[in-house]
Amino acid sequence: MRKIDGEIILFWTLPFLALSWLLVFLFFPGFSPPMSPTMSAEEVAAFYRDPQNLPRIRYSLIVFNWFGIGIVAFLTLIMMQMRRMAHRTPVLAYCYLGCSTGGPVLFFIADLFWLLAAFRPERDPQLTLLFNDLAWISFTGQVGFMVGQCVFLALAIFLDRQHKPVFPAWVAHFNLAVALAIAPAAFVATALEGPLAWNGLLSFWVRNGAIGLWLVVMTGVMGRTLYRQRGEEAAA
Amino acid sequence: MSAVPTAPPPRPAGRWARLGWHWRHDPKIELWIMWWAMFCFYQLFGVVFALMTRVMPPPKPWWGQARIVQWFSDNHDGLLWGFGICFLISGLVASCNALIGYSMRRMSVSRAFPYAYIAIYSLSTLPGMLLAAILLTVGAMRPDRDPAILSWIYDAAFMTFVGTMGVFLVGTAIWMLAILLDRNRVFPLWFGYLNICNLLTEVVVAPVWIFQEGPFAWNGVITFWVDTLVFVVYTAAFITLLRRLVLREDFGEGVLPDLAAPSAGRA
Repeated sequence: MRKIDGEIILFWTLPFLALSWLLVFLFFPGFSPPMSPTMSAEEVAAFYRDPQNLPRIRYSLIVFNWFGIGIVAFLTLIMMQMRRMAHRTPVLAYCYLGCSTGGPVLFFIADLFWLLAAFRPERDPQLTLLFNDLAWISFTGQVGFMVGQCVFLALAIFLDRQHKPVFPAWVAHFNLAVALAIAPAAFVATALEGPLAWNGLLSFWVRNGAIGLWLVVMTGVMGRTLYRQRGEEAAA
Repeated sequence: MSAVPTAPPPRPAGRWARLGWHWRHDPKIELWIMWWAMFCFYQLFGVVFALMTRVMPPPKPWWGQARIVQWFSDNHDGLLWGFGICFLISGLVASCNALIGYSMRRMSVSRAFPYAYIAIYSLSTLPGMLLAAILLTVGAMRPDRDPAILSWIYDAAFMTFVGTMGVFLVGTAIWMLAILLDRNRVFPLWFGYLNICNLLTEVVVAPVWIFQEGPFAWNGVITFWVDTLVFVVYTAAFITLLRRLVLREDFGEGVLPDLAAPSAGRA
């Protein structure tokens, strides 16, 4: 019988992780449709006080609190592949690992503030507005680590100069395109309306769409790579 | 690439052609990318925190609510666009940590040192920089927010920015210990001791949690100006020394060779 393979187990947790993210995205009432930054303190408070919204806010964000951080395991699998690349130093893999500890914790901070707003919705509306703002800015604006990850991975792929590179070159181009798509969201707070606002085309739809697409494409790439490597090792 | 390494072609003359040569043939390209990323990060950090957002030097901790509201509205655009840049480039912090971690990997010390340093400094980005940036962004985006809450945001932002101490204290201590233990002469001994100065700034800054004015407040002569001076000298020193490390790197195991005397033609 084949030995139990830990990396394959970690890999197969990914579809469940992606499913949990999709469920959160669909069930969190703040995303469908995305709340407008122009809502007044009273309107934001009313959103959290609405008995239709409140349980859905809490339950979806509890699930996100459980699994938002789960992406770290997948990012570590990518870092393991970077260590197999024909590099002279481990610095790009160090960068990737550094970013993967920085990014997901910001998801956690956003989740914390949304849940706090929902914890005592009868609170002064100004405080609920503050928690809601902190959550949306942490969730939307903190793209630096994701941009960094995509760029560091692309550099690592370009510099993986060997006969059979670990990832094909298009993965690098794809990661650069994703970095470009999520970058504008860093400026989310400069506008309360329009494409940069946190419910706008660039900051919400393009950014979250790019992250979703990245998750799907990189799952495919990783699955193919892991099984190809195991096939080669078995043949050798 | 062929299996047998061939000697790289000579370096061309033009600037862009030379950049292309480095990308294709320089064995140290990974380290140079890290170094330039670090260099750009600290330049942008200075532009964002000193020029755009006016967070350094910091405004006064004793201001009343009306003055704080005015500070947010005076710096509205600078805060929002400046911290937008800060959010966008925060990934560059990882390359600073990676290069410093690499310097410890090149030393004759345990791998525990680079890993501990990278772990501590990766987590330090949030309390040391991003949390303050998130808070001030949230403060600036709604100038009509309740002044009492704006005043809380203001305190929270500057206290986390100036008063985050332990991660830098312990992180610097780890690098210092590695340098002092190292036999590969990766860094000169004086830089090991300069780490003590940087580490002490984190001790000196502790009174900001107690004083609202005077030399020990968050904008104080000692806690801000002396500490910032040490930080600038220390940062300039390690950026320079890390550049020399990349130049000296021989990808070997033992003592890191000194730089060859600069040839006459290089200037």
